[in-house]
Amino acid sequence: MIVVTGADQALAAGLLEGLRASGETVVTLPDGALASRAAAEAALAAAVAGHGPLRAVVHAAVDPVAFERVPFHEVDDARFEAVWERTMQGFLFVLQAAHPHLRAEGGSVVVVAPVIGMAGAAQLAPYAMALEGLRVFAKSTARQWGPDGIRVNVVAPAPEQVPVGVASAELALSPPALGRPGDPVADLAPVVAWLCSPAAHFVTGETIGLDGGVWMAP
Amino acid sequence: MTGAPDRARRLQGRTAVVTGAGQGVGRGIALALAAEGANVVVAARRAETGEPVAEEIRARGDEAVCIVSDCTVRAEVEACVAATVERYGGLEIMVHNAFKGGRAHRVEDLDLDLWAENSRSAVWASLYTAQAAYPHLAAAGTDGRLVLVTSPAGVEGSGGIPAYGPVKAAQRALAKSLAREWGPLGVTVNCIAPVAETPALAYAFAERPELKDRVEARTALRRIGDAEADIGGVVAFLAGRAGGYVTGQTIVCDGGSFLGL
Repeated sequence: MIVVTGADQALAAGLLEGLRASGETVVTLPDGALASRAAAEAALAAAVAGHGPLRAVVHAAVDPVAFERVPFHEVDDARFEAVWERTMQGFLFVLQAAHPHLRAEGGSVVVVAPVIGMAGAAQLAPYAMALEGLRVFAKSTARQWGPDGIRVNVVAPAPEQVPVGVASAELALSPPALGRPGDPVADLAPVVAWLCSPAAHFVTGETIGLDGGVWMAP
Repeated sequence: MTGAPDRARRLQGRTAVVTGAGQGVGRGIALALAAEGANVVVAARRAETGEPVAEEIRARGDEAVCIVSDCTVRAEVEACVAATVERYGGLEIMVHNAFKGGRAHRVEDLDLDLWAENSRSAVWASLYTAQAAYPHLAAAGTDGRLVLVTSPAGVEGSGGIPAYGPVKAAQRALAKSLAREWGPLGVTVNCIAPVAETPALAYAFAERPELKDRVEARTALRRIGDAEADIGGVVAFLAGRAGGYVTGQTIVCDGGSFLGL
């Protein structure tokens, strides 16, 4: 069983649909499941009770306020709390709740972090910060949990996959080399499914660009 | 004066605030900026650490003042910047270096108190220092500089101190984003990622003597950096005219340990 967070938004909803189409059992968590460690533990326990052992978590949850473009000098504490602090704490709670399940199953975590984080973006700094926070938290966790047999990886979709209102070119990025940002169901989900599968058993701490060739890592 | 006498001091007439300047890397940056002629505000949580650094700078014939300020409190950062501008007439260079929270932990045991130390001192304080400095950096135009002190862990993560990775990564993403956002004003925004002799590192080495050999062996140069000469000098470069076309970057000053960027 695979848990997908953030599927109330189009990108993760597409990943969920694609994973289901490939025959996976995919489960979402109820509202409020990322609000505390206890809530995350209860939600994952219920998912496991209802649908069997947890093989992977695909984590894409972020408050949609993150997508609003605001000059950085106008970002107030409430906005920063919602975008940076909630995103990071939500991921921490999911990791903590998933740890015993994933350790038992040799499972994995896939974080969905659009290339906006690696590239940086004017008027989207809090979102970019949260994305890079998630991505490097994934690396830290991959290093620490490797001996437990748990893998943690990141996929980086194109900016066009999230409703920030600007395309790659407007973020001073190259357009997708493949000519389109891709379809979450058909183009992105198969790579996420592969990362969750035993075929990717030696891949951890890695970031895979799933943007059709927008951002090519140095 | 410790700057070379046969050339102009590169930061003469400019004013810098350095957070966490009471010790370690922050102290080294404060000394280096002052030696290049900058008016330096030693921003420290405690006068016991900040005042001696300001005094050390003045004893060299350079200009500095200590302002006691907790960078995790928005009002204190704003007050520090206001006092700086009142005293020196402007603010061209903001350096956020302060950090608290680098204790080893397991992800599954990370509690919200330790997370908050990391998040508040690295990330929230970046928000506060950048915002408080913003109108003054904008007024300084092509002399405006924001420098955030991050870490190689902000690139590669840390298995021993997992929370340290994401909070340092967030600073790198902020530098990239603000470089783009403030670039039209002429202001540059960069990170440095140092490995340097600091009280924190000395403490870690005292606890685990084998760690010093390991860290040194990992550096291509086979030594741990000096906070003033090796790290402060790089910030002085970024802060000066010669650094004016470098923005959105992380300059890794680690003696050649992490070569992956």
